[in-house]
Formats: sequence, structure tokens, C-alpha cells
Amino acid sequence: MKPKKIKLGRSDTRFAYALLAPSLILLIILIGYPMIYNIIISFQDVPINPKLASEFVGLDNFAAVFRDKSFYHSVFLTLIFTAVVTIISTAFGLAIAVFMNREFVGKKLVNSIIILSYVVPAVCLIFAWRYMFNNIYGIMNYLIVDVLKITDEVPLWFDQPASAFILVSIFAIWKFYPYAYMSFVAILQSVDKSLYEAADVDGATGWQKFKVVTYPAIKPTLVTVVSLRTIWVFYIYTEVYLLTKQVDVLGVYLYDMAFATHDFGKAAAISIVLFVVIFSLVMLIRKKVLRVEES
Amino acid sequence: MKKVKKKTLKGIFFYTRVVLLVLVLLFPFIIMLSVSLKHTAESIAYPPTIIPETWTIKHFVDIFNPNIFPYIKYLGNSLYIALVVSVVAVLLGIFGGYALSKLKFKGKKTVSEMFFLVYMFSGILLIVPLFRMLSAIGLKNSREAVIICMIIQTLPTAIYMTRSYFDTIPKELEEAGRVDGLSRMGIIFRIIVPLSISGLISVFVYAFMIAWNDVLFASIFIDSPNMMTIPIGLNSLFNTPDYVWGRMMAASLITSLPVVILYGLSQRLIKNGRTEGGVKG
Repeated sequence: MKPKKIKLGRSDTRFAYALLAPSLILLIILIGYPMIYNIIISFQDVPINPKLASEFVGLDNFAAVFRDKSFYHSVFLTLIFTAVVTIISTAFGLAIAVFMNREFVGKKLVNSIIILSYVVPAVCLIFAWRYMFNNIYGIMNYLIVDVLKITDEVPLWFDQPASAFILVSIFAIWKFYPYAYMSFVAILQSVDKSLYEAADVDGATGWQKFKVVTYPAIKPTLVTVVSLRTIWVFYIYTEVYLLTKQVDVLGVYLYDMAFATHDFGKAAAISIVLFVVIFSLVMLIRKKVLRVEES
Repeated sequence: MKKVKKKTLKGIFFYTRVVLLVLVLLFPFIIMLSVSLKHTAESIAYPPTIIPETWTIKHFVDIFNPNIFPYIKYLGNSLYIALVVSVVAVLLGIFGGYALSKLKFKGKKTVSEMFFLVYMFSGILLIVPLFRMLSAIGLKNSREAVIICMIIQTLPTAIYMTRSYFDTIPKELEEAGRVDGLSRMGIIFRIIVPLSISGLISVFVYAFMIAWNDVLFASIFIDSPNMMTIPIGLNSLFNTPDYVWGRMMAASLITSLPVVILYGLSQRLIKNGRTEGGVKG
């Protein structure tokens, strides 16, 4: 059998690339080429009529973006939104994972309920939110004003920037925390239970146990979850856009520039700016995340 | 005795927190279900009710009546897109995952890092060039444009997932196949694939969910109501006379059903993964 094996080993490279060819070709056509094309568009003034030729305008689009006040507003909103959603959804997911890290009757059921908001299409969840926060007959206003009597003046939730921002943040946290939860649950199960028992013997409090036993075990996962979530929230579009027109994060700003204002040149310039930021983020964390994913 | 009592108290305290947590997390779903089973008048009454005063399944019947609600049309489009995307993702996942898991070749590290980078990017960053490219080749207002974009969205994860399933299959099995005279493709499809069915179903489910839930690419490429998928179709009904809360909630629940069921199924399959059965001792 030996000679045959050697022969197979030699042709591995060719066979591997034959298998990878369809994926690599798709990657080049639909990711590689568009990346270059995007740079070209960002230097052009693109007429709405596709039959007219685009005109080279140098850095005009970038200049226009950097002159645009709403661009800075978007950057500002996006930074706060990303920080709020990433930190709270990760912390919440972790807290629930720690809370659930024991055996009890009904654990499976609770587990499925926790994951529900992550699995269900965003649109479906958004209908429920639009209904719940309706200004006239919404149940949230009823609870806030008539049941809990917290305040008499509820905002028009979706139509004011501040309340819309809060609403979108809560929605995104609720939608995304199961991802953190699932990542942490798997890791927590692998933590040696005797470590907790030893800590108990030493009379450690819950927080001390978390710091000494849990935290070191979950740290690599924590880095991955925070990194990926930061990147994903940074260019979020769907959840925000469906819920309100009042929160112009960069993803929404970019989409509107392309498909509402129809200024493709400027939209391409925005996506290049976004791309540079995200690419730097990815490069910064790539080593750490890749190491975790490999192990 | 005292210790037992303390334990019961602790148990009660724990379950109280579990129930509270579940209620808060489930609240929007409870509202969805409640509104879908109410008459329209009651769904916009104030103060709102959680348990319907009068029950009706009218909305669930209505959404499946093409004469009054376009849900079936959207459902067909969504199914078509999601099924094609997930079949392609599984196939490309098998090829790419096998190469990255079982074969030694030059540039392997570069290829696998490339897929990982794409996994983190994609999404909205390339909508402008993708829209221009696919429109230029006549794929404007077509479901195929969405399919193409969703394939590239799901590809890196599909390959990554299949690769880690294939990693668990011992080399001895492949060698046994070689001895039996199977071709290289034969080894993949006769030995590797049957042993990782549960993993491949998870890949299918993953791709199906991503495509089923997509809003971004569908909203860019699809204008005509006949082509619309469920998410953008239902969303386009907002502020039209068709926007009856009960119907929207019923449609939302029905739309969630396939992904919830598929997801539950894939979780169960992963747990009972059967690759261990292949090699004894």
C-alpha cells in the first residue's frame, strides 16, 4: 500500500484546489472584484441613469462625506450604539450563562426560550415591538403610565431620536445576547466543578468565584465574542432600519446614500471609510480570535 | 431538617428567578400570539389585554388566502431562495471543508484565513458594487441576485462548520475506503458525508436561516411585489390597508416556525452526533 499513499500525498495540492475552486472563484468574483470596483466607484460621479457614463471626480466624494455634518452624527451614534449593545448584550449573555450553569428540571426548555430571539427573523420581532410600543394602544405605554405609574409623559417611541435610540439599543441587546450566551454556556460546562467546590471550602463569595475560577476560563471566548459583536454591530443595518427612521447609524447612512439619495459615488466613499475602520479592527484582533477559533 | 428547608427555599428562589426571566424574554412572543388570536377591534383597544377576551383563528386562515393577503406568494419566494442557498452552501461546504480538514496543500493557511476574514466582513460593505455589477448583467429585480449574494454570505461559515465536523472523522476510515478501491470523490461522498450527516444538516439549517431572515439583499434587489420574500414583503405592507395587526402577527409566527423547528432539530442532531460510531476501539 505504501507507494500508493505517497502518490496520493503528492496530488493533494491539485485535488485540494479543485475542491476549493468553486468557492474561491465565487470569493474572487463576489468579494475581491467588488472591493476593487468599490474603490473605483468612490472616485466617480455616478449618474442615476445607468446608460450614462460615470465621470472621474478624484477625491470629491470623500471630501463631500467629510464635509457632511450628518456623517459625523452617524459616526458618533454608531460608536455609542456599538459600545452599548456590545457591552450589555455580552454581559447579559454571560450573566445568564453563569446563572444557567447548573442542573435543574426544565433547563432544556429555558435554554430554547433564551435562544428564541436570536433565531426568529428580525422582521417578526420588529412587528411585535412596533405593536408593543405603539403610541396609542401600545401595552408598554399602558404598563408605564397606568400600571406602574412611572411617568405621565411617554415619548413617541419611534419618532424621537433619543427614545428611538433607546428602543433600538434594547432591541439589539435582546436580539444578540443569545449569541454570547451560547458561546459562554459551552465553555462554562468544561470548567472543572471541583474548582468551585474548592473555592466554596475557602469561603469564597459568588463574585470571588467568578473572578478566580470562571473569568480565566472564559477569557478567550470573551475576547472573541466582544470582537465579533463589535464588528457586526458597527455595520448593523437591518435591525435599526426596520425599527425606526430616527437612528442613522453608519449602515443606515450608507444604505440611504445609495438607495434613497442614489448617490453611489458618495455611498462607495462611505463604505470605504467603514471598510478601513473595520479592517483595522479585524487586523487588530485577528491573531487573538483566530487562535481561539483554531483551538 | 433546617438544612432541607434552606434547600427548598433556595430552590423556590431560584425557580422564581427562572420564571421571571422567561416571562420577560418571552413577553414580545406572548404579545404576538395574543394579537394573532384576537379580533382586530380588540387588538387596538385601550387598555390592552394580554389574554384575548374573544378568541379567533381568522387571521391564520386569512393569511393563507391569496385573494386577501399575499403571504403565500412571499412564502414561495422565500422558500425558493433559502432552499437554493442552503443546498449550494452544503455542497460547497463539503468540498471546501474536506480540502481544509483532510488535505495538506500549499497555501492552506492563507485560504483558511481568507475565509475567516470574509466571515467578519461582508454584509453592507459591498452593497454598492454588488448592486451595480448584478444590475449590469440584468439581475435587477430578481431572486437570483439575492441567491448569489446569500451564497457568498453563508459560504465562509459553511466551510468552517463542515471543516470542524470532518475534523472529528478518523483518518483510518478514509484509508479503509482507499483499500476498498474508492476514488477520492468516492471517499468524500461514500464515507465522509454519510458519517457527518448531522453536521451537514446543521450547515443546511444555518444557511437556510441566514437566507430566510435576510432583509438587506432582498430589499436592494427586489422591487416588484411578485418577487418579494417574506421579510421585505410583510414590511412593505406597513401603513397599507393590508396592515392588520392580527394578520401581521399570525404571519410572523408562521414565518418563525420553520427556522425555530430547524434550529431545534440541528441542536438535537449535534448532541447525538454519530461520527463516533465509525471507529471501534
